[in-house]
Amino acid sequence: MNKQVTRNIFRAVFILAIQVILLKRNLTLGEFNYVHLTVYSIIIAMLPYNWNRTLIILLGFVTGLFVDLFYDSIGVHAGATTFIAYVRYYILNWMAPTEGYKKDSLTAYQLGVPWFLTYMSIIIFLHLIFLYSLEAFSFVYLKEIILRTVFSFIASLFLVMFGSLIFNPKY
Amino acid sequence: MRNLLYLIFRFSAFLAFLVLELICFHLIVNYNKSQGEIWAHSSNLFVGSINARSQKVEDFFELNQKNDSLLLENAKLLETILNFRMTSENNAFQEFEKTLQDSTLDYQLIPANVVSKTIHLRNNYLTLSKGKSDGLKVGMGVLGKNGVIGIIKSLSDNYATVLLILNSQSRTSVKILNKEYHGNLVWESSDPRLMNLKDVPRHANISKGDTIVTSGYSISYPANVHLGTIDAINYVKGSNSYDIDVKLDYDLSNISYAYVVTFQKKEEKETIVELQDE
Repeated sequence: MNKQVTRNIFRAVFILAIQVILLKRNLTLGEFNYVHLTVYSIIIAMLPYNWNRTLIILLGFVTGLFVDLFYDSIGVHAGATTFIAYVRYYILNWMAPTEGYKKDSLTAYQLGVPWFLTYMSIIIFLHLIFLYSLEAFSFVYLKEIILRTVFSFIASLFLVMFGSLIFNPKY
Repeated sequence: MRNLLYLIFRFSAFLAFLVLELICFHLIVNYNKSQGEIWAHSSNLFVGSINARSQKVEDFFELNQKNDSLLLENAKLLETILNFRMTSENNAFQEFEKTLQDSTLDYQLIPANVVSKTIHLRNNYLTLSKGKSDGLKVGMGVLGKNGVIGIIKSLSDNYATVLLILNSQSRTSVKILNKEYHGNLVWESSDPRLMNLKDVPRHANISKGDTIVTSGYSISYPANVHLGTIDAINYVKGSNSYDIDVKLDYDLSNISYAYVVTFQKKEEKETIVELQDE
Protein backbone atom coordinates (compact mmCIF):
# COMPACT_ATOMS: atom_id res chain seq x y z
CA MET A 1 0.00 0.00 0.00
CA ASN A 2 2.67 2.43 1.08
CA LYS A 3 4.77 1.47 -1.90
CA GLN A 4 1.84 2.27 -4.16
CA VAL A 5 1.63 5.82 -2.79
CA THR A 6 5.34 6.53 -3.12
CA ARG A 7 5.43 5.08 -6.63
CA ASN A 8 2.55 7.31 -7.70
CA ILE A 9 4.16 10.40 -6.23
CA PHE A 10 7.46 9.58 -7.90
CA ARG A 11 5.73 8.99 -11.23
CA ALA A 12 3.82 12.27 -10.97
CA VAL A 13 6.96 14.30 -10.24
CA PHE A 14 8.90 12.60 -13.02
CA ILE A 15 6.24 13.02 -15.71
CA LEU A 16 5.42 16.60 -14.71
CA ALA A 17 9.09 17.55 -14.87
CA ILE A 18 9.37 16.05 -18.35
CA GLN A 19 6.17 17.78 -19.44
CA VAL A 20 6.99 21.30 -18.30
CA ILE A 21 10.70 21.28 -19.04
CA LEU A 22 11.14 19.13 -22.14
CA LEU A 23 7.82 18.63 -23.91
CA LYS A 24 6.83 22.29 -23.58
CA ARG A 25 9.70 23.16 -25.90
CA ASN A 26 7.75 21.98 -28.81
CA LEU A 27 8.81 20.52 -32.07
CA THR A 28 7.39 22.96 -34.58
CA LEU A 29 7.81 21.65 -38.08
CA GLY A 30 7.75 24.95 -39.95
CA GLU A 31 4.18 26.02 -40.55
CA PHE A 32 2.79 22.73 -39.34
CA ASN A 33 2.34 23.21 -35.63
CA TYR A 34 -0.36 20.83 -34.64
CA VAL A 35 1.79 18.35 -32.73
CA HIS A 36 1.91 19.08 -29.01
CA LEU A 37 3.14 16.28 -26.81
CA THR A 38 0.80 16.26 -23.83
CA VAL A 39 1.23 13.13 -21.75
CA TYR A 40 0.79 14.18 -18.14
CA SER A 41 -2.85 13.01 -18.12
CA ILE A 42 -1.53 9.46 -17.56
CA ILE A 43 -0.56 10.50 -14.02
CA ILE A 44 -4.26 10.75 -13.21
CA ALA A 45 -5.15 7.75 -15.36
CA MET A 46 -2.70 5.48 -13.51
CA LEU A 47 -3.74 6.34 -9.94
CA PRO A 48 -4.88 3.19 -8.10
CA TYR A 49 -8.40 1.96 -8.81
CA ASN A 50 -9.62 1.89 -5.23
CA TRP A 51 -8.78 5.48 -4.33
CA ASN A 52 -11.55 7.86 -3.39
CA ARG A 53 -13.16 9.46 -6.45
CA THR A 54 -13.32 12.92 -4.93
CA LEU A 55 -9.65 12.74 -4.01
CA ILE A 56 -8.74 11.79 -7.58
CA ILE A 57 -10.73 14.72 -8.95
CA LEU A 58 -8.94 17.08 -6.57
CA LEU A 59 -5.58 15.64 -7.57
CA GLY A 60 -6.53 16.13 -11.22
CA PHE A 61 -7.31 19.79 -10.57
CA VAL A 62 -4.03 20.39 -8.75
CA THR A 63 -1.98 18.62 -11.44
CA GLY A 64 -3.63 20.64 -14.19
CA LEU A 65 -3.12 23.88 -12.32
CA PHE A 66 0.57 23.10 -11.89
CA VAL A 67 0.97 22.54 -15.64
CA ASP A 68 -1.01 25.74 -16.28
CA LEU A 69 1.55 27.79 -14.37
CA PHE A 70 4.18 26.76 -16.89
CA TYR A 71 1.99 27.11 -19.97
CA ASP A 72 0.71 30.57 -18.95
CA SER A 73 -2.84 29.35 -19.44
CA ILE A 74 -4.44 29.42 -15.99
CA GLY A 75 -7.53 27.21 -15.89
CA VAL A 76 -7.22 25.50 -19.26
CA HIS A 77 -5.16 22.45 -18.30
CA ALA A 78 -6.80 22.34 -14.88
CA GLY A 79 -10.24 22.12 -16.50
CA ALA A 80 -9.22 19.34 -18.87
CA THR A 81 -7.46 17.28 -16.20
CA THR A 82 -10.38 17.63 -13.78
CA PHE A 83 -12.63 16.34 -16.52
CA ILE A 84 -10.37 13.31 -17.07
CA ALA A 85 -10.29 12.58 -13.34
CA TYR A 86 -14.08 12.62 -13.32
CA VAL A 87 -14.79 10.41 -16.33
CA ARG A 88 -12.01 7.95 -15.40
CA TYR A 89 -14.39 6.12 -13.07
CA TYR A 90 -16.92 5.46 -15.85
CA ILE A 91 -14.28 4.38 -18.33
CA LEU A 92 -12.79 1.96 -15.81
CA ASN A 93 -16.20 0.48 -14.99
CA TRP A 94 -16.96 0.13 -18.66
CA MET A 95 -13.62 -1.51 -19.38
CA ALA A 96 -13.55 -3.74 -16.30
CA PRO A 97 -12.17 -7.23 -16.98
CA THR A 98 -14.68 -10.05 -16.33
CA GLU A 99 -12.94 -11.05 -13.12
CA GLY A 100 -12.69 -7.43 -11.94
CA TYR A 101 -9.57 -5.46 -11.01
CA LYS A 102 -7.63 -7.92 -8.86
CA LYS A 103 -4.71 -5.67 -8.09
CA ASP A 104 -5.58 -1.99 -7.71
CA SER A 105 -2.74 -0.74 -9.88
CA LEU A 106 -3.71 0.17 -13.43
CA THR A 107 -0.52 -0.72 -15.26
CA ALA A 108 0.32 -2.65 -18.40
CA TYR A 109 2.14 -5.15 -16.17
CA GLN A 110 -1.00 -6.02 -14.21
CA LEU A 111 -3.68 -5.77 -16.90
CA GLY A 112 -1.90 -6.51 -20.15
CA VAL A 113 -0.63 -4.26 -22.92
CA PRO A 114 -3.79 -4.27 -25.13
CA TRP A 115 -6.05 -3.26 -22.23
CA PHE A 116 -3.59 -0.57 -21.14
CA LEU A 117 -3.26 0.94 -24.61
CA THR A 118 -7.02 1.08 -25.16
CA TYR A 119 -7.48 2.74 -21.78
CA MET A 120 -4.67 5.24 -22.38
CA SER A 121 -5.86 6.16 -25.85
CA ILE A 122 -9.36 6.91 -24.53
CA ILE A 123 -7.99 9.04 -21.68
CA ILE A 124 -5.47 10.94 -23.81
CA PHE A 125 -7.99 11.58 -26.58
CA LEU A 126 -10.64 12.92 -24.21
CA HIS A 127 -8.05 15.01 -22.40
CA LEU A 128 -6.73 16.58 -25.60
CA ILE A 129 -10.10 17.37 -27.15
CA PHE A 130 -11.31 18.95 -23.91
CA LEU A 131 -8.03 20.84 -23.57
CA TYR A 132 -8.07 22.37 -27.03
CA SER A 133 -11.76 23.19 -26.84
CA LEU A 134 -11.15 25.08 -23.60
CA GLU A 135 -8.11 26.79 -25.06
CA ALA A 136 -9.98 28.06 -28.11
CA PHE A 137 -13.06 28.71 -25.92
CA SER A 138 -15.36 28.70 -28.91
CA PHE A 139 -16.23 26.30 -31.67
CA VAL A 140 -15.31 28.83 -34.34
CA TYR A 141 -11.92 27.14 -34.44
CA LEU A 142 -13.40 23.66 -34.83
CA LYS A 143 -11.08 22.64 -37.63
CA GLU A 144 -8.05 23.72 -35.65
CA ILE A 145 -9.25 21.92 -32.53
CA ILE A 146 -9.72 18.69 -34.44
CA LEU A 147 -6.37 18.89 -36.25
CA ARG A 148 -4.52 19.62 -33.03
CA THR A 149 -6.29 16.84 -31.17
CA VAL A 150 -5.68 14.21 -33.84
CA PHE A 151 -1.99 14.90 -34.44
CA SER A 152 -1.14 15.49 -30.77
CA PHE A 153 -3.04 12.34 -29.87
CA ILE A 154 -1.02 10.14 -32.21
CA ALA A 155 2.32 11.59 -31.07
CA SER A 156 1.44 11.52 -27.35
CA LEU A 157 0.16 7.95 -27.50
CA PHE A 158 3.41 6.82 -29.11
CA LEU A 159 5.37 8.48 -26.34
CA VAL A 160 3.23 6.87 -23.63
CA MET A 161 3.60 3.49 -25.33
CA PHE A 162 7.38 3.87 -25.41
CA GLY A 163 7.48 5.00 -21.80
CA SER A 164 5.38 2.15 -20.50
CA LEU A 165 7.34 -0.41 -22.52
CA ILE A 166 10.66 0.89 -21.23
CA PHE A 167 9.72 1.30 -17.56
CA ASN A 168 6.94 -1.28 -17.38
CA PRO A 169 6.05 -0.42 -13.76
CA LYS A 170 4.46 -2.99 -11.48
CA TYR A 171 2.46 -0.45 -9.47
CA MET B 1 -30.92 16.29 7.41
CA ARG B 2 -29.52 12.80 7.35
CA ASN B 3 -30.91 12.30 3.90
CA LEU B 4 -29.28 15.51 2.73
CA LEU B 5 -25.91 14.48 4.14
CA TYR B 6 -26.31 11.11 2.51
CA LEU B 7 -27.09 12.76 -0.79
CA ILE B 8 -24.04 15.03 -0.57
CA PHE B 9 -21.86 12.08 0.33
CA ARG B 10 -23.20 10.01 -2.53
CA PHE B 11 -22.68 12.68 -5.13
CA SER B 12 -19.48 14.11 -3.65
CA ALA B 13 -17.46 13.15 -6.72
CA PHE B 14 -19.87 14.85 -9.07
CA LEU B 15 -20.09 17.91 -6.85
CA ALA B 16 -16.31 18.18 -6.65
CA PHE B 17 -16.12 17.87 -10.40
CA LEU B 18 -18.75 20.55 -10.92
CA VAL B 19 -17.24 23.00 -8.44
CA LEU B 20 -13.68 22.59 -9.73
CA GLU B 21 -14.79 22.86 -13.34
CA LEU B 22 -16.63 26.09 -12.51
CA ILE B 23 -13.50 27.41 -10.82
CA CYS B 24 -11.56 26.59 -14.00
CA PHE B 25 -14.05 28.45 -16.17
CA HIS B 26 -13.91 31.40 -13.86
CA LEU B 27 -10.12 31.40 -14.03
CA ILE B 28 -10.05 31.13 -17.80
CA VAL B 29 -12.52 33.92 -18.36
CA ASN B 30 -11.03 36.25 -15.77
CA TYR B 31 -7.54 35.60 -16.94
CA ASN B 32 -8.49 36.53 -20.47
CA LYS B 33 -10.06 39.78 -19.31
CA SER B 34 -7.93 41.37 -16.65
CA GLN B 35 -4.29 42.29 -16.72
CA GLY B 36 -3.40 42.14 -13.07
CA GLU B 37 -3.02 38.48 -12.23
CA ILE B 38 0.70 38.40 -11.83
CA TRP B 39 0.59 35.33 -9.64
CA ALA B 40 -0.76 33.35 -12.53
CA HIS B 41 2.10 34.13 -14.85
CA SER B 42 5.46 32.69 -15.47
CA SER B 43 7.00 35.87 -14.14
CA ASN B 44 6.01 34.32 -10.83
CA LEU B 45 9.26 33.82 -8.97
CA PHE B 46 9.25 30.04 -8.50
CA VAL B 47 8.23 29.12 -12.02
CA GLY B 48 10.44 31.83 -13.46
CA SER B 49 13.53 30.48 -11.78
CA ILE B 50 12.87 26.92 -12.96
CA ASN B 51 12.38 28.19 -16.49
CA ALA B 52 15.56 30.23 -16.23
CA ARG B 53 17.52 27.19 -15.06
CA SER B 54 16.34 24.91 -17.82
CA GLN B 55 17.03 27.68 -20.32
CA LYS B 56 20.56 27.99 -18.97
CA VAL B 57 21.25 24.38 -19.86
CA GLU B 58 19.87 24.92 -23.34
CA ASP B 59 21.86 28.14 -23.71
CA PHE B 60 25.04 26.29 -22.91
CA PHE B 61 24.59 24.08 -25.95
CA GLU B 62 23.63 26.95 -28.21
CA LEU B 63 26.23 29.40 -26.98
CA ASN B 64 28.32 29.35 -30.16
CA GLN B 65 25.34 29.82 -32.37
CA LYS B 66 24.08 32.68 -30.26
CA ASN B 67 27.49 34.31 -30.32
CA ASP B 68 27.66 34.08 -34.10
CA SER B 69 24.25 35.62 -34.56
CA LEU B 70 25.12 38.46 -32.17
CA LEU B 71 28.36 39.05 -34.04
CA LEU B 72 26.49 39.19 -37.33
CA GLU B 73 23.95 41.60 -35.89
CA ASN B 74 26.75 43.81 -34.60
CA ALA B 75 28.51 43.80 -37.94
CA LYS B 76 25.30 44.77 -39.68
CA LEU B 77 24.74 47.70 -37.32
CA LEU B 78 28.32 48.89 -37.67
CA GLU B 79 27.99 48.65 -41.44
CA THR B 80 24.86 50.79 -41.36
CA ILE B 81 26.52 53.43 -39.21
CA LEU B 82 29.69 53.53 -41.32
CA ASN B 83 27.78 53.89 -44.56
CA PHE B 84 25.43 56.44 -43.10
CA ARG B 85 28.36 58.51 -41.86
CA MET B 86 29.90 58.47 -45.34
CA THR B 87 26.77 59.44 -47.23
CA SER B 88 24.94 61.81 -44.90
CA GLU B 89 24.72 65.33 -46.28
CA ASN B 90 26.33 68.31 -44.56
CA ASN B 91 27.77 66.09 -41.84
CA ALA B 92 24.25 65.68 -40.43
CA PHE B 93 25.13 62.35 -38.95
CA GLN B 94 28.28 63.63 -37.30
CA GLU B 95 26.21 66.41 -35.75
CA PHE B 96 23.76 63.84 -34.46
CA GLU B 97 26.57 61.74 -33.04
CA LYS B 98 27.85 64.76 -31.14
CA THR B 99 24.46 65.32 -29.52
CA LEU B 100 24.43 61.67 -28.48
CA GLN B 101 27.31 62.26 -26.13
CA ASP B 102 25.81 65.09 -24.15
CA SER B 103 22.12 64.28 -24.06
CA THR B 104 20.03 61.25 -23.27
CA LEU B 105 18.12 59.65 -26.09
CA ASP B 106 14.34 59.49 -26.30
CA TYR B 107 14.34 55.78 -26.86
CA GLN B 108 16.68 53.48 -24.98
CA LEU B 109 16.99 49.70 -25.15
CA ILE B 110 17.46 47.28 -22.27
CA PRO B 111 18.76 43.88 -23.42
CA ALA B 112 17.29 40.74 -21.82
CA ASN B 113 17.48 36.99 -22.25
CA VAL B 114 14.41 34.97 -23.21
CA VAL B 115 13.96 32.23 -20.61
CA SER B 116 10.73 30.67 -21.80
CA LYS B 117 8.30 31.06 -24.65
CA THR B 118 5.45 29.44 -26.52
CA ILE B 119 4.44 30.24 -30.07
CA HIS B 120 2.15 27.35 -30.93
CA LEU B 121 -0.81 28.08 -28.63
CA ARG B 122 -3.72 30.45 -29.22
CA ASN B 123 -2.42 32.86 -26.60
CA ASN B 124 1.34 33.01 -26.56
CA TYR B 125 3.63 34.55 -23.97
CA LEU B 126 7.33 34.90 -23.45
CA THR B 127 9.34 35.33 -20.26
CA LEU B 128 12.33 37.65 -19.99
CA SER B 129 15.09 37.39 -17.42
CA LYS B 130 14.72 41.00 -16.32
CA GLY B 131 12.07 42.58 -14.16
CA LYS B 132 11.13 45.49 -11.94
CA SER B 133 14.61 45.75 -10.43
CA ASP B 134 16.05 46.47 -13.89
CA GLY B 135 13.66 49.36 -14.52
CA LEU B 136 11.12 47.52 -16.62
CA LYS B 137 7.49 48.66 -16.49
CA VAL B 138 4.19 47.18 -17.61
CA GLY B 139 3.28 48.35 -21.11
CA MET B 140 6.80 48.74 -22.45
CA GLY B 141 7.40 47.39 -25.95
CA VAL B 142 9.81 44.55 -26.68
CA LEU B 143 11.82 44.36 -29.91
CA GLY B 144 13.87 41.56 -31.42
CA LYS B 145 16.84 42.02 -33.68
CA ASN B 146 14.57 42.15 -36.73
CA GLY B 147 11.27 43.50 -35.50
CA VAL B 148 8.47 43.76 -32.98
CA ILE B 149 8.00 40.96 -30.41
CA GLY B 150 5.34 42.17 -27.97
CA ILE B 151 4.42 44.22 -24.91
CA ILE B 152 5.24 43.59 -21.24
CA LYS B 153 2.12 42.36 -19.50
CA SER B 154 3.22 41.64 -15.96
CA LEU B 155 6.33 41.84 -13.83
CA SER B 156 8.02 40.36 -10.82
CA ASP B 157 11.33 41.55 -9.39
CA ASN B 158 13.51 39.58 -11.76
CA TYR B 159 11.22 38.33 -14.52
CA ALA B 160 8.80 39.83 -17.00
CA THR B 161 5.97 38.23 -18.96
CA VAL B 162 5.59 39.54 -22.49
CA LEU B 163 2.35 39.36 -24.44
CA LEU B 164 3.59 38.24 -27.84
CA ILE B 165 2.08 39.66 -31.00
CA LEU B 166 1.09 36.03 -31.58
CA ASN B 167 -1.74 36.30 -29.05
CA SER B 168 -5.45 36.76 -29.60
CA GLN B 169 -5.36 39.73 -27.19
CA SER B 170 -2.55 41.50 -28.97
CA ARG B 171 -3.28 44.62 -31.05
CA THR B 172 -0.48 46.58 -32.64
CA SER B 173 -0.90 49.95 -34.31
CA VAL B 174 0.87 49.83 -37.67
CA LYS B 175 1.05 51.73 -40.94
CA ILE B 176 1.92 50.97 -44.52
CA LEU B 177 5.33 52.42 -45.31
CA ASN B 178 5.32 55.48 -47.64
CA LYS B 179 1.53 55.40 -47.91
CA GLU B 180 0.64 56.52 -44.38
CA TYR B 181 -2.52 54.44 -44.14
CA HIS B 182 -2.72 52.98 -40.70
CA GLY B 183 -4.44 49.98 -39.18
CA ASN B 184 -4.32 47.42 -36.41
CA LEU B 185 -2.33 44.21 -36.59
CA VAL B 186 -3.95 41.19 -34.89
CA TRP B 187 -3.33 37.45 -34.94
CA GLU B 188 -6.19 35.26 -36.06
CA SER B 189 -4.40 32.48 -37.90
CA SER B 190 -2.58 29.58 -36.27
CA ASP B 191 0.50 30.19 -38.36
CA PRO B 192 3.22 32.00 -36.36
CA ARG B 193 4.40 33.80 -39.49
CA LEU B 194 1.03 35.13 -40.65
CA MET B 195 -0.72 38.16 -39.11
CA ASN B 196 -3.95 39.97 -40.01
CA LEU B 197 -4.13 43.69 -40.67
CA LYS B 198 -7.51 45.30 -39.93
CA ASP B 199 -9.09 48.75 -40.26
CA VAL B 200 -7.30 49.86 -43.43
CA PRO B 201 -9.99 51.78 -45.38
CA ARG B 202 -11.23 50.40 -48.70
CA HIS B 203 -10.18 53.48 -50.70
CA ALA B 204 -6.54 52.97 -49.70
CA ASN B 205 -4.29 52.34 -52.66
CA ILE B 206 -2.29 49.34 -51.46
CA SER B 207 -0.71 46.42 -53.23
CA LYS B 208 0.83 43.07 -52.47
CA GLY B 209 4.40 43.36 -51.24
CA ASP B 210 3.98 46.69 -49.42
CA THR B 211 6.01 46.98 -46.23
CA ILE B 212 4.29 47.16 -42.84
CA VAL B 213 5.96 49.15 -40.04
CA THR B 214 4.86 50.37 -36.61
CA SER B 215 2.94 53.65 -36.64
CA GLY B 216 4.52 55.20 -33.56
CA TYR B 217 1.06 56.23 -32.32
CA SER B 218 1.35 54.01 -29.29
CA ILE B 219 3.79 54.70 -26.49
CA SER B 220 5.19 51.18 -26.59
CA TYR B 221 7.08 51.17 -29.86
CA PRO B 222 9.01 53.82 -31.75
CA ALA B 223 7.79 54.57 -35.28
CA ASN B 224 8.97 52.72 -38.39
CA VAL B 225 10.04 49.45 -36.79
CA HIS B 226 9.91 46.78 -39.44
CA LEU B 227 7.27 44.01 -39.25
CA GLY B 228 6.56 42.33 -42.57
CA THR B 229 5.01 42.60 -45.99
CA ILE B 230 1.49 42.31 -47.40
CA ASP B 231 0.89 38.76 -48.51
CA ALA B 232 -2.75 38.83 -49.65
CA ILE B 233 -5.56 41.38 -49.72
CA ASN B 234 -9.03 40.04 -48.94
CA TYR B 235 -12.31 41.87 -49.36
CA VAL B 236 -14.93 41.46 -46.67
CA LYS B 237 -18.47 41.83 -47.95
CA GLY B 238 -20.27 44.84 -46.49
CA SER B 239 -17.22 46.14 -44.69
CA ASN B 240 -15.50 49.47 -45.20
CA SER B 241 -12.05 48.07 -44.61
CA TYR B 242 -9.76 45.43 -46.02
CA ASP B 243 -8.76 42.22 -44.32
CA ILE B 244 -5.08 41.95 -45.16
CA ASP B 245 -2.75 38.99 -44.57
CA VAL B 246 0.69 40.12 -43.45
CA LYS B 247 3.68 37.83 -43.63
CA LEU B 248 6.23 38.50 -40.89
CA ASP B 249 9.79 38.75 -42.18
CA TYR B 250 11.31 37.30 -39.05
CA ASP B 251 10.86 34.05 -37.20
CA LEU B 252 9.54 34.37 -33.64
CA SER B 253 10.25 30.73 -32.88
CA ASN B 254 14.02 31.11 -32.53
CA ILE B 255 14.45 34.33 -30.57
CA SER B 256 16.77 33.89 -27.60
CA TYR B 257 17.25 37.52 -26.60
CA ALA B 258 15.22 40.70 -26.88
CA TYR B 259 15.41 44.45 -26.27
CA VAL B 260 12.95 46.29 -24.05
CA VAL B 261 12.15 49.80 -25.28
CA THR B 262 12.06 52.57 -22.70
CA PHE B 263 10.61 55.86 -23.85
CA GLN B 264 11.84 58.91 -21.91
CA LYS B 265 8.92 61.16 -22.83
CA LYS B 266 6.31 58.54 -22.02
CA GLU B 267 4.44 60.54 -19.36
CA GLU B 268 4.34 63.59 -21.59
CA LYS B 269 2.82 61.67 -24.49
CA GLU B 270 0.38 59.88 -22.20
CA THR B 271 -1.03 63.12 -20.79
CA ILE B 272 -1.55 64.60 -24.23
CA VAL B 273 -3.35 61.46 -25.40
CA GLU B 274 -5.56 61.57 -22.31
CA LEU B 275 -6.41 65.23 -22.98
CA GLN B 276 -7.44 64.25 -26.48
CA ASP B 277 -9.83 61.63 -25.18
CA GLU B 278 -11.71 63.99 -22.88
